[in-house]
Amino acid sequence: MINFEEELKKFHPSLEVEDAEESIYHQDLTDLADMLIKKIVGAGQEIVRETPKE
Amino acid sequence: MFCYNCGCRLSEHDFCTACGAEVSLYKKVMHVSNMYYNEGLEKAGVRDLSGAVISLRQSLKFNKNNVRARNLLGLVYFEMGESVSALQEWVISKNIRPRKNIAGEYIEKVQANAGKLESINQTIRKYNRALALCQQGSTDLAVIQLKKVLSMNPRFVRAHQLLALLYMDKQDWERAERELHKCREIDRNNLQTLTYLREVEQMLMPDEGARQPSKRRKDESVRYQSDNEIIIQPLNVKEPKSGGVSSLLNIVIGLAIGLAAMYFLVVPAAESRVRNEEQQVITRISSESDAKTARIQELESQVTGMNESMTEIQAQLDSYVGVDGTLQNTEVLLQAIAAYMEAEDKAAAAATTAEELGSIGQRVNLEEMTEGFRRLYDAASGVILPEVAAAYLDEGNRLFNSKNYAEAAAAFERAVAYDADNEEAIYQMAQSYRFIGDTEKAVAAYDKVIELFPDSWRAERSQNYRTQLTGG
Repeated sequence: MINFEEELKKFHPSLEVEDAEESIYHQDLTDLADMLIKKIVGAGQEIVRETPKE
Repeated sequence: MFCYNCGCRLSEHDFCTACGAEVSLYKKVMHVSNMYYNEGLEKAGVRDLSGAVISLRQSLKFNKNNVRARNLLGLVYFEMGESVSALQEWVISKNIRPRKNIAGEYIEKVQANAGKLESINQTIRKYNRALALCQQGSTDLAVIQLKKVLSMNPRFVRAHQLLALLYMDKQDWERAERELHKCREIDRNNLQTLTYLREVEQMLMPDEGARQPSKRRKDESVRYQSDNEIIIQPLNVKEPKSGGVSSLLNIVIGLAIGLAAMYFLVVPAAESRVRNEEQQVITRISSESDAKTARIQELESQVTGMNESMTEIQAQLDSYVGVDGTLQNTEVLLQAIAAYMEAEDKAAAAATTAEELGSIGQRVNLEEMTEGFRRLYDAASGVILPEVAAAYLDEGNRLFNSKNYAEAAAAFERAVAYDADNEEAIYQMAQSYRFIGDTEKAVAAYDKVIELFPDSWRAERSQNYRTQLTGG
């Protein structure tokens, strides 16, 4: 039997258009490739990952 | 695939042939990212949008620069009604690859229509408000809000799910099922949707073993679904036999009610409408009649005016062409003068002409005649009348000498009539009156002589005779 209150907790407010910009800025876009490169190149070095040229 | 270090295209080797960087693991990470992207694409193709989201997010976790995965993720979000999340992904994608990126087109399409963007924002605000109402316990208001949200964005999966949950809380299982089916049409394998749907189906079509046996009754119903509706047909229900008399009675009662309704509702309205129409017709006719009456009065006054003008014109015309008209009088004058001119016996003709001139002078007002008429008349009178007066004077003297005083007086009167300034004629007339004993006329004639010719010998004699007659 579904519990209404419990199910309701799974619903979160949606982002509004005005909040989208801030959300994008605060998004952590670090991916596995970044972590891997960091490990390969070594800590302390700045990674400048080239974006695809296609 | 390109080198993370120098950006050159990688070969099949595990190192970059340009800069020598170690790329074996990097290549594997890229491969996994692409694999998840392919998986996400397959799931999106069969409308497993939730599954596609998971796969595509996994793809991006491995490679954030996977533009294709990011664009597809945005598309999936947009299809699920999560417009802002979609815009986020496309904006990030556009930043990663500014040129030759379809995300730019998607963003332009959404932002091109300001009304659409505002509508998206409104939808999200209403959804958030509905969610807040649910948390406060105002579920009825939340339902109303969610219905508005779904009318604006029918593909908003979360709104459908929340609305289904609210219906389930109210035990309105049919409506909940409808909402969940709509969710499934958009996102086929959404776990939350499937979970709710199972719950709803259990409530709608319970299994025999899972339910309470005590609730089973002989007259249980059969439920089945037809399109979007749930049909509940009770069993073992017999329809009552319809008696002929009762049916007939029902028909008669129905007819009576219908007739009564028509009589009390329809007929008065119809009568009222007819009366209104008649009143309008009467009003129209009355106004037309007033207009026509006014027009008639106007025409009558015009006719009166014209009649007066016509009378006036006729009078003017008569004054010209009537028996005593100008033309007629002119003709008479001309005829009289012509007769005199043509006559051999001027003396005889003069008398006739003088009479004509006299009658013309009495009939017409010389001031109103033309100048030509007046000149001719005066000229004729100047010539003919003295001649006639002289003839009458001679006649009168002859009669006076014959002691025929009465006829003499008449002759002298005519002479005076034609020549009022003839001293002899007036004097002789006075003498004739004296001899016939008409003292009053004699005195009047003597007064005239005295008045008109005061210095003449006749005036002196007239004075003496007057004194004798009046005694003073």
